[in-house]
Amino acid sequence: MEQFLYYLRASLVSIRRAPLPYALTVFIMALGLGVFFANATFYYRLNADPLPHKSDKLFFPMMLLVPWECNDSTCKPPPVLSYANVQKLSSSDIPTAKAAMYSSDAYLRLDTKQPPLPVSLRITQRDFFRMFDVPVLHGSIWPDDSARNEVILTEALAEKLFGHSDVVGKTLLLDDKPLTVSAVLQNWQMLPRLYDANNRNYTNAVEQIYLPLETGYDMNYLSNSQSSTFDDTDYRQLATQGRTGALHQLQYWVQLDTPAQQQAYRDFMHNLATTEQTAGRHPAVINNQLTALRDIVTYFGGESGDIKAFALVTLLFLLVCLLNASHLSLNRYLSNQYELSLRRALGASRWQLQQQMLVDVLMLTLFSLAGALLIGFGGVQLMNYLWPANRLFAGWDLLLLSGLLVLAWLSSYLVTLYPSLRASFGALNQQLKE
Amino acid sequence: MSLHLMLQSLKRRKVVTALLLLQLTMTLALLLNAMMLASQTHASLNEPTGLALDNILQIQLKPTTPALRKYPALGDLLERQLAGVRTVPGVVAAAYSNQGPLLQGGNNGNVFKVGEQDRTNLSSVPMYFVSADFFRVLGLTLQNGELPVSPTLLDGPVQAPVVLTQHLAEQLFAGENPVGQAVNRGPVAAVVSNFYGQRTAEHVFNNVMQVAPLYGVDWGYSLLVRLDTGTAGTVRQQLEKVLREVDSNIEIFYVRSLAEQHHRLYRTEFGLAVLLTLLAGLMLLVTMISSYSNAHFHALKSQQEIGIKRALGASQAEIFIELLGESWLCTLFGAGFGVLVAVALNKLLATVIVIPAIPLWLPLLALAVLMCCVTLATWYPATIATRVSPATATKTL
Amino acid sequence: MIKINNLSKIFRTELIETHALKNIQLHVSEGEFVALTGPSGSGKSTLLNVLGTLEDFDSGDYLLDGQSVKGLSDKALSALRNEKIGFIFQGFNLIKDYSLFDNIELPLRYRGFNAAERKRRVEYALEQVGLAARRDYHPSQLSGGQQQRVAIARAIAGQPRILLADEPTGNLDSLMARQVMELLEQINQNGCTILMVTHDPEQARRAGRQVQIIDGQLSDAAMYDPLAHNNPLVKSSPVAVA
Repeated sequence: MEQFLYYLRASLVSIRRAPLPYALTVFIMALGLGVFFANATFYYRLNADPLPHKSDKLFFPMMLLVPWECNDSTCKPPPVLSYANVQKLSSSDIPTAKAAMYSSDAYLRLDTKQPPLPVSLRITQRDFFRMFDVPVLHGSIWPDDSARNEVILTEALAEKLFGHSDVVGKTLLLDDKPLTVSAVLQNWQMLPRLYDANNRNYTNAVEQIYLPLETGYDMNYLSNSQSSTFDDTDYRQLATQGRTGALHQLQYWVQLDTPAQQQAYRDFMHNLATTEQTAGRHPAVINNQLTALRDIVTYFGGESGDIKAFALVTLLFLLVCLLNASHLSLNRYLSNQYELSLRRALGASRWQLQQQMLVDVLMLTLFSLAGALLIGFGGVQLMNYLWPANRLFAGWDLLLLSGLLVLAWLSSYLVTLYPSLRASFGALNQQLKE
Repeated sequence: MSLHLMLQSLKRRKVVTALLLLQLTMTLALLLNAMMLASQTHASLNEPTGLALDNILQIQLKPTTPALRKYPALGDLLERQLAGVRTVPGVVAAAYSNQGPLLQGGNNGNVFKVGEQDRTNLSSVPMYFVSADFFRVLGLTLQNGELPVSPTLLDGPVQAPVVLTQHLAEQLFAGENPVGQAVNRGPVAAVVSNFYGQRTAEHVFNNVMQVAPLYGVDWGYSLLVRLDTGTAGTVRQQLEKVLREVDSNIEIFYVRSLAEQHHRLYRTEFGLAVLLTLLAGLMLLVTMISSYSNAHFHALKSQQEIGIKRALGASQAEIFIELLGESWLCTLFGAGFGVLVAVALNKLLATVIVIPAIPLWLPLLALAVLMCCVTLATWYPATIATRVSPATATKTL
Repeated sequence: MIKINNLSKIFRTELIETHALKNIQLHVSEGEFVALTGPSGSGKSTLLNVLGTLEDFDSGDYLLDGQSVKGLSDKALSALRNEKIGFIFQGFNLIKDYSLFDNIELPLRYRGFNAAERKRRVEYALEQVGLAARRDYHPSQLSGGQQQRVAIARAIAGQPRILLADEPTGNLDSLMARQVMELLEQINQNGCTILMVTHDPEQARRAGRQVQIIDGQLSDAAMYDPLAHNNPLVKSSPVAVA
């Protein structure tokens, strides 16, 4: 300990001797690390796997079951499904769980005297909550997928509306239709929200209120992200024409736990496509896709090119800053060379000099880490301002912070290593003579 | 000053020189690509839109009760809202539309000349269902035919006549007179001047308009308002108030000028350009620090050498130029590599974002910027070096 | 060649003033070989620096080759040093990363000679000091004596009117010292004025005239001015060959 304090003091003395070069070294390290860290925050969180234990077991089946003819391989199946096609796909019992879904907007109030509150809506089926590990706080999830005048709320919304969260059995008006609360969800956030990945929707927050799919169609809710009509279906008649025509607006997820299940489901999809084709209902070539949750963003081409581009550039910047810092620190060490030689002449071993160096590294790590956090925080704020769509991904977690710590230490070590080696391993007598 | 001797001096400090070179290289590479992206975004934001961006406001809104979203209540609401908006001083004209211009994507569909679907089919053409004043609000000029004056039902017994933008008309009818002919959406009544519709469309100037009642307002709708020049600020404040007075059962998502709307279209690019420019600036700063410390350290280390040179008859100016010359030489080398790395970085970036190739004049500009920065950074250390007394030469090491 | 009247130089720090040179009177004629002796700290190096215009002085006059040095700009002083004065230092002061050729060429560059002229002069100077074959060597590859000969070559390459030598043999063994002294004598015989600082009495005796400096003042013996007393230029002082 006493020895450590001595090294610490020696380190401080050498900083005080030339404060400007040291301050510049710290500044440059902090700048490089901070800028890198700000972007890494988004990069890391946007590419995170929200369900690591089952992201390879949840699949989005897509089929080219459409009324137009397409015979070349460039025709991709639509990224959203029609109600009729979901019915056909869900006729299979192979999946462990399955749920169709889409998002919409609605207005909510407790009685007609209140002003309506705009809410985000997910219209889905029973298995959604099980498949995506949605935690239930009160009540129970719908027992089946049939239409029912029931909704599920998030805890935050329940508290906003009623002042408390245990509101199971209470009634509310969704677009002036009375519905009963059947469950309240614990506050949760799936980041990125991969179940709705098309059009980069995965950067949005999870919805506030959940409605059974059949009820959603009965109430004529249209998707607020993408709905495409491939025939004469009138989208204002969702409850009738929407269930039979080629109006595509649904995501559909199935859980296939084993490779055998996955293969069986692929076969099922192929058989379905063949049957449909022979029946003459779908003239296009067969093109089935079964995309896993972890690949869905890539499949929809929704990766953040801007974040990636900036990641590339910040990495280069970090590199330049490290080069620069080692350059500065080399100059600093060479200025101190005489002192180092003197220490060695007085009997300090190389190992002892290296210990001194490690203390220097520790100091540099601390200073540059503090600076990097400050600059990183500023950088995150700036990126939030410039790219508000990614706002939800701005948080820091323990893993990220420890990553920064390791990076800062490693950088400090590298920046100090060569200069101190060069200073302490030089020919002793020559340096003293100089 | 001799090039040969400067080279030797750089070679002698090979580690620091290599570090500096690497930095200069990367700085130039980044600087070039940031400049590229910034100029591209700037160009996008200055592209022609066919619209008087500052004098048109767009209000995006939606009735909050289901009753108001159905006809005849909806038709009545629209009439009342437009009438209310028109009373605001500074408003020249107002119209409704299912969607505004200058969007990423929105309501769109395929359009083709009747009977020639195979040859003329254009997918994702924006469809606007509008009131008759729409053309006046956007300031579109009539090129051909006659604009419809009263709304026709979209699901009525006869198809509603369509108005095409000039670019779309040329694509579909290639030189023929489109007026009197028909596309799949209805008979062509008129052709108007081009305006920017949706960014994801096949061509941003392709738009189809029908004067018709709104088909449905589940996704909300737009009120578009044409203003007298310079009134945007005051009108904007009043619009929300007037609309709430007309009927409070509405949610107003936003009131924006088309200029703001246009800027939002390129928000991502703008953000990246800002960040890259900022980073390039920081990189220049770092390079300046580096050049400074390098020159400073070098000047301190070579005091005796400078003293000898002074004793042998080098004037202060000659010493000064010699040190600057070394920095310049280093910058030139760095810039040479930098251009190569810039091209490589440009290619790499092009795999994740849209970025144009680097034109020839840009490296020269970037080099000039870099030279200025390096000169600035070397100035002080070089001045210090000139103060070395020639008597230093007589002091023996 | 050199005329100094009442020259004084004071070193000032916050606390004290040191009179490094006090009322120096010194006249050196063209072609003389003058040895400047004195104990260390007596001001002989300061005097040499002032003579070489490496350092400024506070009062008095200094005429070099008939031209007053006082008040000249840095540029003019640099040019004066470059054209008229050659320096030889105790520590040789060669630039260790330059080849012999580059070292000797350096003052010629500042003078503005073209490449051909520089080459001619460097080669001639190298020949004179007997190192023509080693023009591409670096100083570290040479012995001390050889290095001093390179320094001499550098000093004479510009054909200066006066050569200022500060303990030129101080770092050399006696054999090499003798060689260097012989070289200097030869240069002097070719007409170049030489002023040499030394503490070696034997070498001082080899010079044509001895001037002693003590505590910043020339001693009485040295005040003796051959011109003022109309004495013939003497180069025949007793020369003891070691």
